[in-house]
Amino acid sequence: MKEYKKPLPVPQPWSKKFWEGAKQHKFLIQYCKDCGKKIFYPRKFCPECWSGNLDWSESKGRGKVNTFTIAMSNVEERFAEDIPYVLALVYLDEGIRMMTNIVDCKPEEVKIGMEVEVVFKDATEEFSLPAFRPVRR
Amino acid sequence: MSKGKIAIVGIGEVPTGWYPDRSEWDIIYDICMQAIRDAGIDKNAVEGVICAPAVGQPKLDAELAFGKVPEELGLKGCKDVAMVHAGGATSANMIRMAEYWINNGIAKIVLLLHATKYSSVDPEYLIRTFATAGMSFEWEYPFGVTYNSMVALGTHKYMEVTGTTAEEMASVPVAFRKWAELDPNAMFRKPLTIEKVLSTKMVSTPLHSMECNMLADGGAAMVVTTPELARKITKTPVFKLGEGNRYCQATVTQRPEDLMMRTYKEAAEQAFAEASLTVKDMDILELYCAYPVLMLTLLEVLGVCKRGEAGKFVMQGNTWPGGKLPCSTIGDALSRGHTGSGVGFAYLVETARQLMGKAGERQVPNCRYVLTNCAGGSGMNVIFEIYGRNMP
Repeated sequence: MKEYKKPLPVPQPWSKKFWEGAKQHKFLIQYCKDCGKKIFYPRKFCPECWSGNLDWSESKGRGKVNTFTIAMSNVEERFAEDIPYVLALVYLDEGIRMMTNIVDCKPEEVKIGMEVEVVFKDATEEFSLPAFRPVRR
Repeated sequence: MSKGKIAIVGIGEVPTGWYPDRSEWDIIYDICMQAIRDAGIDKNAVEGVICAPAVGQPKLDAELAFGKVPEELGLKGCKDVAMVHAGGATSANMIRMAEYWINNGIAKIVLLLHATKYSSVDPEYLIRTFATAGMSFEWEYPFGVTYNSMVALGTHKYMEVTGTTAEEMASVPVAFRKWAELDPNAMFRKPLTIEKVLSTKMVSTPLHSMECNMLADGGAAMVVTTPELARKITKTPVFKLGEGNRYCQATVTQRPEDLMMRTYKEAAEQAFAEASLTVKDMDILELYCAYPVLMLTLLEVLGVCKRGEAGKFVMQGNTWPGGKLPCSTIGDALSRGHTGSGVGFAYLVETARQLMGKAGERQVPNCRYVLTNCAGGSGMNVIFEIYGRNMP
């Protein structure tokens, strides 16, 4: 595997499961078994009811681009080789929101409201980062 | 409740910009001596010193946090010193802490200061520092987020939802520049046009380079005390009349679209209610924007413009010198230069300056009431403050 030089996630003990799932190309969403709240990003206790009775469910990995930007300059040196790259806020069908990249298409093809699906980018032995690509019909 | 609990009696400031030969302690001497002399008090009458942090400058930050200012300046009456840090929302929190000190026998007269010197910091280190200040190391940073791109996301959405045009957006830096042209302490003072803004390189769509701010050296200080003592010290005291605040989550992904509008509205209403004033009573809005979209959002939240009409309002020149509603009279971070945790403080100093009638070419005639705001991180909170030269 090519050496990965960009910053990696700094996980907490309770978010490791998410990254283990990502490694297997599964998008796991934490949820509260007591109040039913879907939790993202993962927490130690449910932010809604403070229950510690938490579990994980697999997301279908589909959602919509809420907004996006094409980064074209003034980025951190380690991301410079990726310019132009797309940063987006994706709203997943399960009702959670995440910051991510839109990949596998030209930046100018990305639109607000576009349907996207998760695709995992293998970074290191430990980490695969969730990105999203347009749903092709 | 903070109505009538604190007054500003003296201000000092150095020009903002790129000044490699001006040391951080040059700045500190200049701003503190100016503020104390402006108040017309003896230096030893200062009983407390509250510093803003020097974000991204560990050495200066430690010196400020650990009490070097009173010692260096020989403030022999100083009883205590502290640092207050709430990122971009630091200024309002320094005032709150001073309010507590002066009303609880800790220090009757307090010196507040902010100083920063980015020209001596490695630019790559600064980019990294700010890419991780107020952003999540786990859920944002690994995707290549910067402050510019974070605001670009919101700007894109705002334009899509409201139909605001690129020209209207670009009229905001132009409006800022109109004020900066008159401001000897601003970093960028050459006249600017919408065409010029739109011809600069794209940083992160839809943000052009001249719609993004630049880090700079700078500093300002002020002397504050109780309203009673303020009336004895100076003929031009500036009173705090009200404040309102709301928290709106640390990271962008945790902030649903309506949350920011709602929390900002609530915070503004709280400030106006405490001051027994309305937005129509304001002679200036000293809006801390950092990026154009914030000015438009703030004008809409405050009820100055209907949703989606703020771009036209700014493009028509209403916020310019001589306009219907002067806004951001230091030219915001875009023209003034961004001093880290200091932009909110610079707005506070300008608020006092305008109310004292000391704003020179930028002076808004018969200025009675001013609203100013600050916010921390990538928008974790908002604090509105209202100041006046009289109690209403």
